[in-house]
Amino acid sequence: MTFQGILILDLIALALLLWVGNLVRRGSLYVGYGVVFIMTTLGVMLILSVPQLLAVIVRVVGAVFPVSALTLLALCFIVFMLIYILTQVTVLSNRLTLLIQGLAIQQAREAGETEREWRG
Amino acid sequence: MKLERILRDHRGDGLPGLAMQTITAPKRRVLIAIPAYNEEATLGEVISRVRAATPEFDLLIINDGSQDNSGQILKQLQVTTATHLCNLGYGRTIQTAVKYALCCDYEALITLDADGQHQPEEIRGLFQEFVNGGWDVLIGSRHVNRQTYSGVPLGRQMGMRLFSILVKSTTGKRVYDTSSGLKVIGRNVFEPLTYWHFIDFHAEAIVYLLRLGYQVGEYPISVATRTKGKSMYSALSHFKYPLKTLLMILLGIVQAGLTRRGNRQ
Repeated sequence: MTFQGILILDLIALALLLWVGNLVRRGSLYVGYGVVFIMTTLGVMLILSVPQLLAVIVRVVGAVFPVSALTLLALCFIVFMLIYILTQVTVLSNRLTLLIQGLAIQQAREAGETEREWRG
Repeated sequence: MKLERILRDHRGDGLPGLAMQTITAPKRRVLIAIPAYNEEATLGEVISRVRAATPEFDLLIINDGSQDNSGQILKQLQVTTATHLCNLGYGRTIQTAVKYALCCDYEALITLDADGQHQPEEIRGLFQEFVNGGWDVLIGSRHVNRQTYSGVPLGRQMGMRLFSILVKSTTGKRVYDTSSGLKVIGRNVFEPLTYWHFIDFHAEAIVYLLRLGYQVGEYPISVATRTKGKSMYSALSHFKYPLKTLLMILLGIVQAGLTRRGNRQ
């Protein structure tokens, strides 16, 4: 990659790091998700800044151009993040379901007891 | 105590209040649970008929976040109600009934649809066969007597056939009516039903229970045509339902295998 390309991508990565850091600081992003983004961004910056590392990745992936290898990695990351986010949504949905069921059961138990007392 | 174990397992998932309760409810025999979602047109009549047909059984209505006047009707009828704050779907509603039955130490749970298609007068016969036959789950079936699907719309008929064949090929047992809402569920399957998740407690639940070694049978019942209210299945769900059920059948087979292996060890 050209020096200009590396510089632009590193600047974008830096901006992303600042944005994510600020979101975590303000409590808008859960620290666990923040760590995933920060580690990935730092990893990309490392790959971009060390040409030998990028060359190894291009060879391993079997790509002709470095950009193709980076695009593939980015796609893999997006798919991974999508699945990860959907699992988190499912976990939250399950917790909400348990809560709603728990409340409903408690309400029914209280009503059931009253009804039985009333019936004698 | 089994129940305390279940509640302990759920403690991390947002049920601390329920988990810490000591279950001291006296032993009762049978619970009839009716899941209801926007069934104001038929709910009152179904409840009256169930009360008249089976006064000795306890009755629970699970209001699955209805947006119509179902809640109001239930209040007027003074029936024990478990209200979901929002709509969770049929499978989760049945699961609430199972959890309630487990909590309150019921020996059997009978589920019945609120749309008025099932005849409450047939519950007694169904339950009698459940007791006499030693079943773990007994399904009220529209098709077991004739062993055909005549009178059913073609699309639905194909689905019923497909799932019946799937159940037969994966478990060796033919179940003609996999989607019936009228069932008797025995106490010993309450726990497995709360551990594993289902879509609508249809073919996927039947395969899972049969693969775990439970006895599932069918008992002939009659079913009336729905005249009021709306079906819970939309046009889109006719495509989504078979795919979701198929996936859950496959995963249920794997899960049942793992559970059995875990039990052996």
